[in-house]
Amino acid sequence: MPAWAQAAGMGKSFNRLLNSVVRIDVREVNFEDGGRRLESSIGSGVILSADGLVLTNAHVVGPRAVEISVTLANLENVGAKLVGWDHWTDLALIRLDMAEINRRKLTFAHAEFGDSDKLFPGETVYAVGTPFGLTRTVTKGIISNTSQYFEADREVEGYETGLFNTWLQTDAAINPGNSGGPLVNEDGKVVGITARGYMGANNLGFAIPANTAKSVLADLVSKGSVTRSYIGIVPGALQNLEGFYSLALDTGMLVNSVDPGSPGERAGLRGGDILLAVDDKPVDGRFPEQLPAILNRIASNPVGTHLNLSVKRGTDTRLVTVVTERLESSVGEEWAFDRWGLSVRKVSRIYAREHQLTDETGAIVIGVQPGFPADVAGLQPGDIVTTINRRPVNSLEILKDAHAAYVKKPEPTLLEAERDRRISLYILKP
Amino acid sequence: MTTIPAKRLICALSLFALSGSIAVRAASLPDLWKERVKSVVAVDYFTELENERRPTTAYGVAIDRQGTVILPSAAVDPRASPRQLKQFKAYLPGDSSGFDAVYLGQDAFTGWHFVRVDPKLAAQLTPITTWAAAGKSPVPELAEEVWGIGLRNKDEDFTPYLLESHLALIQSLPQQIGIAQQEVASPGLPVFNRDGVFIGLAASSFGQTFLQFSQAERGGTPIMLIDLEESCAFSLAGEVLPYLGRVPGNVNGRPLAWLGAYGLESMGRDVASFLKLSDRSGAVVSEVLEDSPAEKAGMKDGDVIVAIDGQPLPRFRPDRVVTDYVEREVERRRPGDLMALTVLRGTERVELKAALGDEPKLIREADRKYFDRLGFTAREFVYGDAVARRVRVKDSAGVVVSYVKPNSPSAVAGIEPDDWIKEIDGRPVRSFADGADRLAALEADTLRTEFVLLIGRGSGTSILRVKLR
Repeated sequence: MPAWAQAAGMGKSFNRLLNSVVRIDVREVNFEDGGRRLESSIGSGVILSADGLVLTNAHVVGPRAVEISVTLANLENVGAKLVGWDHWTDLALIRLDMAEINRRKLTFAHAEFGDSDKLFPGETVYAVGTPFGLTRTVTKGIISNTSQYFEADREVEGYETGLFNTWLQTDAAINPGNSGGPLVNEDGKVVGITARGYMGANNLGFAIPANTAKSVLADLVSKGSVTRSYIGIVPGALQNLEGFYSLALDTGMLVNSVDPGSPGERAGLRGGDILLAVDDKPVDGRFPEQLPAILNRIASNPVGTHLNLSVKRGTDTRLVTVVTERLESSVGEEWAFDRWGLSVRKVSRIYAREHQLTDETGAIVIGVQPGFPADVAGLQPGDIVTTINRRPVNSLEILKDAHAAYVKKPEPTLLEAERDRRISLYILKP
Repeated sequence: MTTIPAKRLICALSLFALSGSIAVRAASLPDLWKERVKSVVAVDYFTELENERRPTTAYGVAIDRQGTVILPSAAVDPRASPRQLKQFKAYLPGDSSGFDAVYLGQDAFTGWHFVRVDPKLAAQLTPITTWAAAGKSPVPELAEEVWGIGLRNKDEDFTPYLLESHLALIQSLPQQIGIAQQEVASPGLPVFNRDGVFIGLAASSFGQTFLQFSQAERGGTPIMLIDLEESCAFSLAGEVLPYLGRVPGNVNGRPLAWLGAYGLESMGRDVASFLKLSDRSGAVVSEVLEDSPAEKAGMKDGDVIVAIDGQPLPRFRPDRVVTDYVEREVERRRPGDLMALTVLRGTERVELKAALGDEPKLIREADRKYFDRLGFTAREFVYGDAVARRVRVKDSAGVVVSYVKPNSPSAVAGIEPDDWIKEIDGRPVRSFADGADRLAALEADTLRTEFVLLIGRGSGTSILRVKLR
């Protein structure tokens, strides 16, 4: 055991944890400038099994990664592959190249989870990771808040995150590059996966609780993804509106909005309804901090479940049955068309819903390369390409076919695109 | 041989007299100036909003002996309701004692705002038609000398001053616009040739693009500068004189011809030639509005209008002008008129016949009511609101927030302009009258401590609680 670890009075288990923390170097494809570019980034991760499973953040490693290189505690480098990711909880799972490990006779330790529900504010925790590429950096702090809430956002490379979990808040120093590293207690148990900090603030760091990570990990190992149920309600905290809705305290969750075309809307739910119970189990959404657990409860049901919702509207209480759908991201598949200098993202069902499009036809322009045909024609990021040579863009394949034809024999190609609901025609010209 | 009716004879004689007087190389510029300056006025008014009165000054020309004055379209904020425009006053150049004036409304086709001034002032004005050429209005030639009138601000008694330049270019935008080498008149004021003949009305100035360089920061961003006080562009007299009779019958400028083809977009050269429109152009219809004449005529989203009444759409420079051209073709007509449209749908040419309707109530015409204690203005949900929110007009009710008073209970609760109030205290709002009545009751009820609104914002809704004390 290193002298410093002994001096700190830490046990063997802490040392073992240190040997399970890795640095992750990722090269990933970026489609944003109208072409295909490779970008490099650095993050952290923690090995959680003897067969080389490494947990990290979804914003460190995702499906766009083309090369993952892991630096073990003994400073040896080894390749890894993505097993699966879950942007909703900002978690991703990779597996070390075990063949290479065995061939090179490399060794590593693996860490164990602790129980994040038993954490208390003021408890000492350590963050271990690779801030700014500084390998194996340990910082120390306390748990500042065991269940911090913030509004769902799109920080995982534009993907939605944070709807289904609260966050551990710590004052242990968290810097860019710490992402994906473990937050551990004094026993060296992983209680969270460090995910983010407020830039410019002092010591406001956040981690995904280990108990959330455990269940996501199990799904990623067995299925490569996490399947969640969706009914399309946007919650609000009741907080002092109980009087207005004639409710007892700690009862019910406010439905702020219902997504157009969602199972909830089809079942007749609408903004201003109060959700009292799901399958007879009461719901308590008095405070924002309580909302992620409620959404997670709904999401945890298998897709296609008939959920019986007890809903209060005015003085009536009624039972509404909704059939859950599979939860999807609004971020569609991305691609770049090099000869046109155009990169796009497919309009997804959810994107179409959020933007009140008639259907999911089309691809959103995410980048154009200056001087290339798409740019010369006048296309701009945000435009939605709906037809090409008068064929509706139902899938990226339609665009890929047209691009292949163009590469073979460059000819003027007619595009129809929408910008702020206005339709314009463009010609891609050789 | 037939006898000429006396009336027409007099008319012909007077025109003859007029042309006779200006055919002679006119007197010196100062002499021409002295007479023509009597055709212009300055007008000011207030836009009365919930918590402020915003003054505006504009310049215009007298068009008849009754004291009717036209102001350029930019003289009034298009979002302002005519009912918010108060206290119109008109001034002679060089004199800041104002005369009362009445706002008559805006003409959709020309964009002009019409004002009628007090008869005492009218008697001192010379209609601009006095300086018109007999017959066809002359089109200035390249490099021809042109001059016009500028007016200083109110604190300088609207002192008139001379601007003079030479013609550089004539453009179709789609109206014929003369562009002089330098500023030639204040927007809304007349431009003359060296003989003193009226040749145009100054339009809003053209933006001029400048590159801004800084010594500290290389590669500065281009900026656009617009001169609000003087303009080098003017609508030619032929685009002005025929339309002076379009005095609105009411402040809302009704009736307004309506086609309901929303979001017209022009196309580039490459697209036009791809569509085999040769040297013509087309306008893409982005959306055909619900229950509109266009919808009834069978127009579809994405149709490309290529001809109106059999006339192919001309090509303009820049291409984007074609949308204005189509809009003006609608605006020059009246509800009930038939408009034949040729559209390109895919590769097929389709002939449509639309019977123009009367434009549904506009946002600026919507009923509205301000609630000072609650801290916001509610206005009627109109057709345009349904279009903007992509909802069916038929299933839509409620009121829209048009103003939120800073730091008021509504502002604190997070209400924002454009929020669509769907329910008040859990009960749906059925109409503007229903919403306004219930909000008025809340406003008057000093015992109420709070109320709850269901508002629509974007594609979602939100419950907002407004605390009154």
